[in-house]
Amino acid sequence: MLRLENLKKSYLDGEGNSIPVVDVSEFFLDHGSIVALYGDSGSGKTTFLNLIAGILAPDQGTLKFAGSYLHELDENQRDQLRAKSMGYIFQSFHLLQGCTALENLLVAMSFAGKVDSSRAKELLKVVGLAERMNHKPNELSIGQQQRVALARAVVNQPSLLLADEPTGNLDERNTQVSLDILKELCEVNEASMIIVSHDPKVISSFETKMNWSDLNRVQENPLSIND
Amino acid sequence: MIKPGLQVILFLALRSIQRHALSSFLAIFSISMAVGLVLSTWKINQETRRAFHISTSGFDAVLGARGSKLQIILNSLFHLEDSPGNLTWEQYELIKSNRGVKEAYPIAVGDNYLGYRLVGTEPALFENHQWSSGRSYEIKPGGRIFSSMAKEALVGSFVADQIGLKLGDQFHPYHGLDFKEENKHEDIYVVVGILEPTGTPTDRVIWIPIKGIQLMEGHDPTMAHSLSAVLLKLKGAAGFSLHTKYNKQGNVATLAWPIASTLSSFFDKFSWFQKVLEMVAGLVAIIGLFIIILSLRTSMNEKKREFAILRCLGASRRVVTSIVLFQSLTLAFLGGVGGVAFHYLINLISFSIIRENTGVMMHSFSFDPMIFYLFGLILVLGLISGILPSFQAYKNELSENLKIIT
Repeated sequence: MLRLENLKKSYLDGEGNSIPVVDVSEFFLDHGSIVALYGDSGSGKTTFLNLIAGILAPDQGTLKFAGSYLHELDENQRDQLRAKSMGYIFQSFHLLQGCTALENLLVAMSFAGKVDSSRAKELLKVVGLAERMNHKPNELSIGQQQRVALARAVVNQPSLLLADEPTGNLDERNTQVSLDILKELCEVNEASMIIVSHDPKVISSFETKMNWSDLNRVQENPLSIND
Repeated sequence: MIKPGLQVILFLALRSIQRHALSSFLAIFSISMAVGLVLSTWKINQETRRAFHISTSGFDAVLGARGSKLQIILNSLFHLEDSPGNLTWEQYELIKSNRGVKEAYPIAVGDNYLGYRLVGTEPALFENHQWSSGRSYEIKPGGRIFSSMAKEALVGSFVADQIGLKLGDQFHPYHGLDFKEENKHEDIYVVVGILEPTGTPTDRVIWIPIKGIQLMEGHDPTMAHSLSAVLLKLKGAAGFSLHTKYNKQGNVATLAWPIASTLSSFFDKFSWFQKVLEMVAGLVAIIGLFIIILSLRTSMNEKKREFAILRCLGASRRVVTSIVLFQSLTLAFLGGVGGVAFHYLINLISFSIIRENTGVMMHSFSFDPMIFYLFGLILVLGLISGILPSFQAYKNELSENLKIIT
């Protein structure tokens, strides 16, 4: 389902020097599989996820997802692919502050071209927010906000979930609840997932683990980008 | 219900306006003020000119004492200002017998009741004259026109409403055009009729026989055969010859003709005031549009974060650009709607004041195409003011925005 080869990405530093951040020779992800990627902060994991999501364009290499080569798609096509086939979960949740929990899901659905409010409500019930779906993010607890973000990420039934430190802001109890929900949502929606974390407890809860430093040929990354 | 396409764009634009309620309110408020001021200035000017021109009570000219045409018109048709002097009864008889004169009615002023003018005239004015094409004066049920030799009054509808005069009521006139308690005449008049409203200055006058004014107790007996002016309805192009006779060749009376151009020159004297108001309104409009730009730009950093989230959810650049443009358009639209409402409010108040002081009826709620044009202009300006922030939204790279959100 996801296959990438010789994927490279560099950034320019303040003096115009090229700083390599990602250099992955090969990576595969099968349909329905989950990979937990761990590594140090600032080592390029988020950049790697952004390359897969089509948010960043690689300097070199190919990335094939769901039968399409991302570099052959124009920006609008990549946006559509992201809307319909990918779900992205952030450490800081990044909910739309002006919208209620339900509206956050409906807006995400609208970009994929199909709004089904009964599915959105059902998903919010699954994550335990049946009574809170008409509340705005600032009226929800941190744990509840993260559950809205999880529901939003899977609302379009994506085939790939990208989770970037999804439990980074949560306490231990909420971390476990969120991970359980995430696994269940992946299973129910038959989605693959790449989850990035530097927390050993989080990583240990997944069967397939991968050390980012084994995957990325850039061993020392002086540039802290997004992580 | 949120739907894909335009609806989600509009939904997010409205949500953004809600989130920045104060700056949105300020932008809407200042645009409303500007639109309201521009429209009101325009409407008051147009409507005043129109209303004054059709409120000449069906007369083509007025003959008055030698003096200003405008003063004669304001005094005898609009019952404002003082009379420039008197005419003799012979002068009235002379112009009445002129072949070019279709109708002639003498009027005499000089007294009031509680500040409302008493105007003396012939009953024929209410029997024969049409105050507008095909419209004669009508009297409310139970009333009648005063007799030319009795101390009787026919009350204009506005006066009757304001001071509660009704059939059978008696009153003492007061000397002068302004009400002073010590100037009470001994004569007693009885109300015999109340006029139906006409929307002209006739409504704010108490009409009595001309002999009543001429022979009022306390008036100078030597003035018993004088009058203030003669209201004229002319035949064809008689105005030219009468104008030559009275204004160019004669020097004892003035023919206020043509009424329309005299009134236009009156309003033109106030055109500077309209220009000042328009300039103020223009400045307020510019400030309003700057507030739109500022409110869009100052919240841009926060918006960049929202745009990045939307892009991550699959929104295209076109969508985030459209959200900013729709936001700007919505602010301009709401400002326009508020402005139209504000202009109707100003009109309602100002027209009521004008009616109270002149008797001229103006239509506060009539639609003016100017509303349509100004609304369109505000929307275009709103769109223009949204272009810069939307361009910012468009050109920002998602990867750059992600730095803000991660």
